[in-house]
Amino acid sequence: MQGDTAAARHLASCHLCLKLADASLHHCPRCGEPLHLRKSNSLQRTLALLVTACVLYIPANVLPIMITDQLGSVEPSTILGGVVLLIDMGSMPIAAVIFIASVMVPLGKLIALFYLCWSVSRGRHINTRQRTVIYRATELIGKWSMVDVFVVSILVALVHLTGLLVILPGAAAVAFAGVVIVTIIAAESFDPRIIWDQQEQTDE
Amino acid sequence: MACPSCDLLYDVAGLRDGEKASCSRCGDFLTRMRSDGFIKLQSYAIAGLVSLMIGCAFPFLSFKSSGLESVMTLPQMVIQLYEQGRPDLAFLVAAFIIALPAAVLVLLLVLSTCIIRQRYYAWMVPVTRLVFHMQSWSMVEVFFIGVLVSLVKIGHMATVVIGLSFWGYGAFSVLFIFAIASLDRLQYWNELDRLAGLQHAG
Repeated sequence: MQGDTAAARHLASCHLCLKLADASLHHCPRCGEPLHLRKSNSLQRTLALLVTACVLYIPANVLPIMITDQLGSVEPSTILGGVVLLIDMGSMPIAAVIFIASVMVPLGKLIALFYLCWSVSRGRHINTRQRTVIYRATELIGKWSMVDVFVVSILVALVHLTGLLVILPGAAAVAFAGVVIVTIIAAESFDPRIIWDQQEQTDE
Repeated sequence: MACPSCDLLYDVAGLRDGEKASCSRCGDFLTRMRSDGFIKLQSYAIAGLVSLMIGCAFPFLSFKSSGLESVMTLPQMVIQLYEQGRPDLAFLVAAFIIALPAAVLVLLLVLSTCIIRQRYYAWMVPVTRLVFHMQSWSMVEVFFIGVLVSLVKIGHMATVVIGLSFWGYGAFSVLFIFAIASLDRLQYWNELDRLAGLQHAG
C-alpha cells in the first residue's frame, strides 16, 4: 500500500521550489511563485498550444528553410528536401539525425501530447506509469528539434562567399522555431499529476 | 516533498551523502543528497564562463572555396542573421545559445558563492526563481550537435577549418550540462531556507 498524495492532504507542491504548502494559498510562501494544487486549465491550454503548433507546422514544411545561391543559380530547399538531398549525397547518418530531429521528434511530440490529453479527457486509467514516461520523454526531447534551425543559422553565417556561394535563411526556419517553442510550452502546461488523479478516483 | 509527476508524498530528510531518491510509483527522479554540490556548482560555473568567453572571442569555423575564405565567430553569426533580414531568428539564436546560458551561469556563480560563504540576502530568492525559469530554455548542447551536423553537411563542398572557439564552445556545452546536473532543486531550496533561518535567529 502506498502513501497519500499531497492533494489528498490539501497540500500544494510548488512547481518551482517543491515546497509543500496549504492549497488555499495563492503564492508559494518560500519562493513566491503562483501556487496551484494542479496546473490550472492544463488540458485546455495544452490543446490550444498543440493546435497552434500544428498550424505553424504547415509553413515550416512547405516554405523553404534555406536558399542556396551558387554562381547565380538560386535553389530553395525545404526540410524534407534537405533530408532527400543528404540521402542522395550519401551522408545517411546526417540525414537520419536531421530526419529524427526535424520530422520525427516534433510529430512524435504532437501525437504524444494529443494522446495524453485525449486519454485524460476520456478518463482512461490504463498504462498510468507508461503515460507518465511518455510525458517525461516529450519534455526531454522537445528542444532537440531546434538542431535544424541552428544548422541553418550556422550555414548562413559561414557560407557567404559573395558571387560564388551564398546561403540565405528561409521563412520556414522561423516557423519551425515557432513550432518547437510552442510545443515546449504545451508540454510545460500539461500536468502529469492529472493522469494519476483518475487512477486514484477509480481505486477508491 | 511530493513527487512532481504524480504528487505522492515522501519524506526525504533521511538521505545520506550521495544517495538518490526516485518515486516508487511513477519512477521520476526526486532528489540527490550531495554535500559538495555547491562547490561543484561554483567550479563548473567558473570554468563554463571562461570557456564561453573563449567560444565567443576567436574564429569558430572558417570556410574556404576557390581561393575565397569566410571566417565566422559566434557574435558574427548573430549579426549575419540579422543582416540577412532575419532579426527574429538572430534574436532566438542569440538568446538560446549565448545570452540565457551565460546569464544562468553568472547567476549560479553568484548564488553558489553566497551559499558556500553561508551568506543570505533577500534577493537570492527571486534571482533563484529567475535561474530556474531561464535554465529550461538553454539549448547549448543542441547547438553543438547542430555545429557537428553543419560540419558534415558542408564538409564536401569546400575546406572547413575548425577554430579555437569551436573547442571553447564544446567545452562550454559540457560544463554547462555538468553545472545544471549539480543543481538539485530540493537541496538548493532547503539550504536557502536554512540560511534564512540562521539569519533570523542571529
